[in-house]
Amino acid sequence: MAGVVVKGRFPRRHVMAAVAKNVFRYLFQGAARNWARNFSSTAPALSSMTLLLFLSGLIGLSGFALYNLEKIESGQASVLHVYLRDDADATDVFTLRNRLALDPRVASVNYTSKADALKHAQSMPGLPQLADSSESNPFPASLDVQVKSINDVAAIDAMVRTNAAVDPVYPTSYDRGAYQRIQAVLLGVAIGGLAFVALLGFVAVTVTINSIRAAIHSRRDEVTILQLVGAPRWMVRGPFIVEGAITGSLAGAAAGVVTFALALAGIAEGSASFSQFAPGVTITVAALAATIVFAAGLGLGSGSSLLSVRRHLES
Amino acid sequence: MPDRPIVEFNGVTRAYGSRLALDDLNLALEPGELTFLVGPSGAGKTTLLKLINREVRPTKGEVWIDGIAAHSLKASHVAELRRRVGVVFQDYKLLPRLTARENVALALQVGDLRVSDHEARERALDALEAVGLGDRGDALPHELSGGQQQRVAVARAVVRQPPLLIADEPTGNLDVETAWGIMDLLEDIAAFGITVLVATHNIEIVTRLQRRVLTLVDGRLVRDQPAGQTGRMAWLAWS
Repeated sequence: MAGVVVKGRFPRRHVMAAVAKNVFRYLFQGAARNWARNFSSTAPALSSMTLLLFLSGLIGLSGFALYNLEKIESGQASVLHVYLRDDADATDVFTLRNRLALDPRVASVNYTSKADALKHAQSMPGLPQLADSSESNPFPASLDVQVKSINDVAAIDAMVRTNAAVDPVYPTSYDRGAYQRIQAVLLGVAIGGLAFVALLGFVAVTVTINSIRAAIHSRRDEVTILQLVGAPRWMVRGPFIVEGAITGSLAGAAAGVVTFALALAGIAEGSASFSQFAPGVTITVAALAATIVFAAGLGLGSGSSLLSVRRHLES
Repeated sequence: MPDRPIVEFNGVTRAYGSRLALDDLNLALEPGELTFLVGPSGAGKTTLLKLINREVRPTKGEVWIDGIAAHSLKASHVAELRRRVGVVFQDYKLLPRLTARENVALALQVGDLRVSDHEARERALDALEAVGLGDRGDALPHELSGGQQQRVAVARAVVRQPPLLIADEPTGNLDVETAWGIMDLLEDIAAFGITVLVATHNIEIVTRLQRRVLTLVDGRLVRDQPAGQTGRMAWLAWS
């Protein structure tokens, strides 16, 4: 046989460079080229995953805000505001305050004057207009009672509401079951949010698995040839997983940017009201949420591809 | 001490459901031997080649390829076996987007990532030259004739100098003259020390070359004719 195949001299130099170049070529470059070539079949996976991640980001931020809100609410639920008559006698107020302070069920009692109440109201969303619309101060002075156990709030309310210093029309802030109602609503919202994310996640994973399956089938011959010439398993499977990772990271990046931008816009537009409606959501939290969304996209894309490859690509 | 056979089948049975594709097969192929595998369609020739390349596992028995126990090989180690087996198909199986040289170089680099582009290019060109296509390295498969594409496939199969080359109907899509060219090439490869197993229906080639002939019928090895003999192609009665 003329010019017979001669076993080449094994390269002793630049071995690492050759390995790195070949890995990059067969794993990443090949995957990127195929991803671009199969964009039309990847587009549904990309868009559904972007939508999922964006909604997950929003739900995550909302969940974080609701968690903070719940903490605030649980703290506030054990505070009983005892509203005082405008014409209450100072001695009566003093006596009532002492009586409450000495009660073993009470942790602390603070006095809020009418002026302080007005000032506080002006910092609440929507209330400044109400406060400004009246010539006189419509907000009553109050004793703010921090009750040790939320279960004792009703008893303290019953004890004070007939007191001479207390406003007979609107004696206290006590609302039976209000805290439980808030908790029930928050629980419902959380379950609904999680179910929605799970449903979207299922759709996104299914669409991604199918898009990778389509890619495997469209490159069946190439896969067969690679397997027959002795390509290791990772070299055959790897590009498909990298393709999924590309889809996931692009979806994650897009969704992360939109999530961050929306949170930033919310913070910038109405910082006072935003912090009331979404407590704890700061620029740092929004950036963290965007990063998590990106990482979730990367994981979702590569994980779905791995599942698809394991299921549809035989050894 | 004699060389261990490159291919060894010990009591190999392969069933697809209730149908036996191969039934209690025993055979051994020595280094540098060119052997024909003949038999009617459905006799089990392709299954035998697939067992060698570990595309399927035997239902029963042992398959040894160059000292590797293919019958019990884990999926994660199949690539190691396949790097020792060059494969040529009737339909060439070249990647259409790669040039002839790139198709050959691919087999080198996917098998050994340490092979640099320069070395792969040089060795691929050497292999193409050896099959008479030294000047067509930059041609894409669709720019080559069937015979030339098959030569590229042969170059790809031997570029790593495997101890074994299996060919499934390598001349099936070629005219007579081109088919003889491919067979000459396979003889040269065997002369170089590589064991070559060719599954074929081409009686003229089998009878004229007078190499060892294994005849399979209904999954059974019905005749093992040594090289240098001319036997009747009894299996023709079944085809």
